[in-house]
Amino acid sequence: MRMRRSVLVLLLFLIFILQGTILPWLLPDAWELRIIPNLVFIVILFVTIYHHRHTALILGLSFGMLHDIVYYGRILGAHSFAMGLSAYLIGLIFQIPRAPLPLMMTVVLLGSLLEDSILFAIYSVFNLNQEPYNWALLNYMLPTMLFHFAIGLLLYIPVRRQLELLKKETRKEEPA
Amino acid sequence: MKLFKLFNNKRLFILLITLVMFIVVMGFSLGARKALSWPENFLRDTTGFVQSLFYKPAGYVAGFFQDIGNLHDLAEENERLKILAAQYARDKAVYNFTKAKIEDYQEKLNFKDAQKKLYDYELHIAQVISLTTEPSNSSVVIDLGSKDGIKPNMSVISVEGMVGVISQVSNFTSTVKLMTVMDANDPNSQPPIAATVLDKEGKSFGMIESYDQQTGMLKMNKIPVGDPIAVGDTIISSGGGGVYPRGLTIGTVKSVKVGEFGYTSTALIDPTADFQDWKDLFVVFTEERVE
Repeated sequence: MRMRRSVLVLLLFLIFILQGTILPWLLPDAWELRIIPNLVFIVILFVTIYHHRHTALILGLSFGMLHDIVYYGRILGAHSFAMGLSAYLIGLIFQIPRAPLPLMMTVVLLGSLLEDSILFAIYSVFNLNQEPYNWALLNYMLPTMLFHFAIGLLLYIPVRRQLELLKKETRKEEPA
Repeated sequence: MKLFKLFNNKRLFILLITLVMFIVVMGFSLGARKALSWPENFLRDTTGFVQSLFYKPAGYVAGFFQDIGNLHDLAEENERLKILAAQYARDKAVYNFTKAKIEDYQEKLNFKDAQKKLYDYELHIAQVISLTTEPSNSSVVIDLGSKDGIKPNMSVISVEGMVGVISQVSNFTSTVKLMTVMDANDPNSQPPIAATVLDKEGKSFGMIESYDQQTGMLKMNKIPVGDPIAVGDTIISSGGGGVYPRGLTIGTVKSVKVGEFGYTSTALIDPTADFQDWKDLFVVFTEERVE
């Protein structure tokens, strides 16, 4: 059981690294300020649907905090709060271990919008952004949503398989 | 009571505590901090090390394909650079004479050491190791840290122009806060840049205070009436105020109009740095000043 879970955490860490280093080179220049990739959050959404929302909450809080600390420009804790809370809320509403692909993709779209909106709200509360919500929505939240949708499709099979294995192991351990 | 059924008491309690904790952490981290705590240092340095293994090779691969794409422009660019190099060689001689003369005057006028070194600065090259382009918190991580003498609020430039300032420093990495999050309403934003126009250094003045994300332009305020600033001029930092070194390229003027109250003008400036795809940046080390 320990092994599968650490595989999941390592996978998330690897995705976190790739998203900050390789992805900016792959994205076309014109998109770079319009798409704010958060691949870690996509995987956490998979966890919240197919595994459990509490695991997703902890993962969201810790990887959000990692992001906050590594890219510490103005404020700590914004990503941690946004990722943890939105993963938990999505899990609360949609947690279905047998969710089919279309439902999962809807969750990816909704979750990505929810997370970006919570972030926007936090920055607004601390008076760190001056742009209206409409502009932010059109300029980067919607493009990011579509990008996350595409990434969600790519990740669907490998991540779901990983989570099935994790579930099997947890189940085997429980009776013992 | 439906609310209590939804959250039993214990869960509600934990939720509230967490919320308060988060607000405390955010409020605390918002202010200016001298140094980071050890968990932050540890996380940043280890993650930074792993990131540096990925970013640079990826940059080389991407750069290789870009170079192939640019191959046909190469001859033309070479021609232009040759002309520029010839000009620089000529200017260098003039510069050396002027510099020697100024040093001579400084000697005769009994300048103090601190005054002589006011405008001396050196550039240290830094590798970018990762970046995030999030609009309200764009930052770049570089591979120099407090062990290399980096301090918060040092200016960071690229080959094209000014990029931002150092916001947080750990032992081996530091975070650069880009100029795109510059904001006059945020008390912890990077301080306004005292700026002037290239070739009109003594006559022109203004303060660059904020960046407008919707148009992608910097805003230069407090330009006095009758200032010779015009569209197309190159804006550089003037060195006044002492936070930014003198002579860093910032951008070109896109438009000038009379400001809100009619006493001063406001100019919109198109930044020369394009805020994406960097391999190397330069950190500007200035002479240590007593604060």
